Amino acid sequence: MKQFESLTGKQLSRRQLMTGSALLGGGLLAAGLTGCGGAAQAAAVQDIGFWHLLSGGDGIKMQAMINAANQANPGFKVHPTVLAWGPPYYTKLAMASAGGRPPEVAIMHASRVPGYAPGGLIEPWDLDLLAENGVTAADFALRIWEKSQHNGKVFSIALDSHPFVMFYNTDIAGKAGVLASNGQLQEVSSPDEFKAMALEMQKVTKAHGLSFGYLGSGSQMWRLFYTLYKQHGVDMELTPGQPMKVDREAAIESLEFMASLFDDTIAAQAGDISTGIAEFARGGSGMLFSGVWELPTMKKAGIPVDAATIPTLYGTPASYADSHSFVLPRQLKLNEDKRRDVYKFVTDVLKGSLSWAEAGHIPGYQPVVQSQAYRELTPQIHYANAAEIIAYDPESWFSGSGSDWQTYFAENVQNVLLGRDKAAAGWDAFEQRTNTLLSRPNPV
Amino acid sequence: MSTSTLSRPRPQNLRKPGSRTRSNLSGWGFAAPFLVFFLAFLVWPILYGFYMSLTGKSLTGANDSLIGFANYAEALADADMWRSLGNTLYFTVISTVPLVLVALVMAALLNIGLPAQWLWRLSYFAPYLLASTVVSLFFTWMYNPQLGLINEFLTGIGLPRVAWLNDPNVAMWAIVIATLWWTVGFNFLLYLAAMQNIPAQHYEAASLDGAGAWRQFFSITLPQLTPTTVMIVLLQILASLKIFDQVYQMTAGGPGGSTRPVVQYIFETGFTGYRLGYSAAISYIFFGLIVVISVMQFVITRRRSA
Repeated sequence: MKQFESLTGKQLSRRQLMTGSALLGGGLLAAGLTGCGGAAQAAAVQDIGFWHLLSGGDGIKMQAMINAANQANPGFKVHPTVLAWGPPYYTKLAMASAGGRPPEVAIMHASRVPGYAPGGLIEPWDLDLLAENGVTAADFALRIWEKSQHNGKVFSIALDSHPFVMFYNTDIAGKAGVLASNGQLQEVSSPDEFKAMALEMQKVTKAHGLSFGYLGSGSQMWRLFYTLYKQHGVDMELTPGQPMKVDREAAIESLEFMASLFDDTIAAQAGDISTGIAEFARGGSGMLFSGVWELPTMKKAGIPVDAATIPTLYGTPASYADSHSFVLPRQLKLNEDKRRDVYKFVTDVLKGSLSWAEAGHIPGYQPVVQSQAYRELTPQIHYANAAEIIAYDPESWFSGSGSDWQTYFAENVQNVLLGRDKAAAGWDAFEQRTNTLLSRPNPV
Repeated sequence: MSTSTLSRPRPQNLRKPGSRTRSNLSGWGFAAPFLVFFLAFLVWPILYGFYMSLTGKSLTGANDSLIGFANYAEALADADMWRSLGNTLYFTVISTVPLVLVALVMAALLNIGLPAQWLWRLSYFAPYLLASTVVSLFFTWMYNPQLGLINEFLTGIGLPRVAWLNDPNVAMWAIVIATLWWTVGFNFLLYLAAMQNIPAQHYEAASLDGAGAWRQFFSITLPQLTPTTVMIVLLQILASLKIFDQVYQMTAGGPGGSTRPVVQYIFETGFTGYRLGYSAAISYIFFGLIVVISVMQFVITRRRSA
């Protein structure tokens, strides 16, 4: 009671306040030290924070790989935090890094690295330390290794490449008579041949030949568009301060072909992603354009499924893809021991990425791809060649998977696909929007 | 009542000399917790936000030098800013009217004495308690062009399918319908409480004079509700101007940017586009607009009451 009076009855002098805070601080420090001592006695297990955006089946596989790495390395324990795909993830990662409280390691799409590396939000990998853990540049396909670099430094280590591919129902394809003698889908090499094949399948399903949901999804529209655009053998360049460099004819031709698919015979005119996936999974169509990550869903659906890269319709084999890559967010105070453990963790996961391949992805780490176990994975092995033809998004601070740029693409192109707008008008509006972005100050 | 107040001794007379400082101090002490939060989470961010709008500050930490009003100049010439601002105002107009009128009708229906009052109150108000994610999710399903309940119903009675969230002419209305179902319960409760406070004698007197139900509603109920209506309209306009959650989750601003509200544009330029300074400038333009709307509303209501 007496102490209480001294607090309420009269004002605290500065000296009393200082003494009080010192005592309080000392007490907390003592408590902290005891806690620390407890942890130190347990052989100093390092806690590694790891953020990723893999949910569903991918998330389960990732958790299994984390568990395996944790078990193999008693010196550290990786604590994953799973965040929602797209803007929520990338916004939080950027803010955590800018604020100096990021995880020790994180997954990013390789296409988003140009938005993070220049501003110093992520740090380059030390190739010597990587080599100490048994991983070198030679362990990655050239295209993927090149993508991991920015301004000559390696900023991301690719766990995989996940291209946009074509799944097909072998049962329906067989009945439609479009299977080759090796049991795989016949090769087609022009837009008209592809449509003819889809129509044959439609005669079997009585619904649609192809499933492709795109409504409301910029990423989905972009994946198919960019695949077709790159098949023209042309490039797209985004340089801040300059207008977009693009082959307008190829872009418009690609859009026109896409729009011609959604005629309610070849494919549903207005369907979103989940509707498209559900249609294919219940045998309502013969083919599905989607990412490799959809493979577990199709296997679970129990349909006879095979897969291949998207047919080359304009001469140059190409397939839109991205890579889930490990990055090192900038640490306010770098803990060297933890950093070493991160290298160990990442290289362990790379070496154990066969289980990641089971989820459909093409492992980035070549020794796994070349292993006998991988060669026995079907249909994965039927599209493994995609790693050599993949096309990442054109580089800029605003492009990449789950970016607003893909949303802007949808804003201008969806009406083209719905048949309400001309392909040229949709494309020109998107180009205009992109040029506005390029003309603005570069924030990274 | 007023005489008893006048006869009370003035509070100041009770004070001893010198007690004023102490009572002021303890007053500040009681107010301090609120003041600390008010200063830390409102006044400081407002000042800092304005400062930020005068810089080229980026989320990545790059370039935070002062650039004067360049961000404002850029924003005023930015067609997407104007478009998103227009979308916000459009939503505010087309949502406020039904959110006030439907609430009034619902409250009036309940006030005439329907049986099982608790059930009506609960079913009208319960949606308001749901999170925006839940509401967005099931309206997205109901609006699904192929599998949605609403299109099933439409085709069932021989009408064509509607691309609810994918047609630029319809999407904003689809969001208004979802918002109406979700939030009308709050306005309904305010109206109901106000209606139940209207003295029954007014209605008795009116019915003795031969006034029917409609005459009573327009000559007694509505005029008595004026202060409530003014408050509901004010609260509703402010709530509608802040629209973001359900749009972001149902259409992400699409199709073709036709539903992107200005709050989403601020979020996009600042957080996913990294340009915090520019984003802050758009916030202040929006803030200015809200101030103008509030002042206009204040002037109109004052003129009416005068």
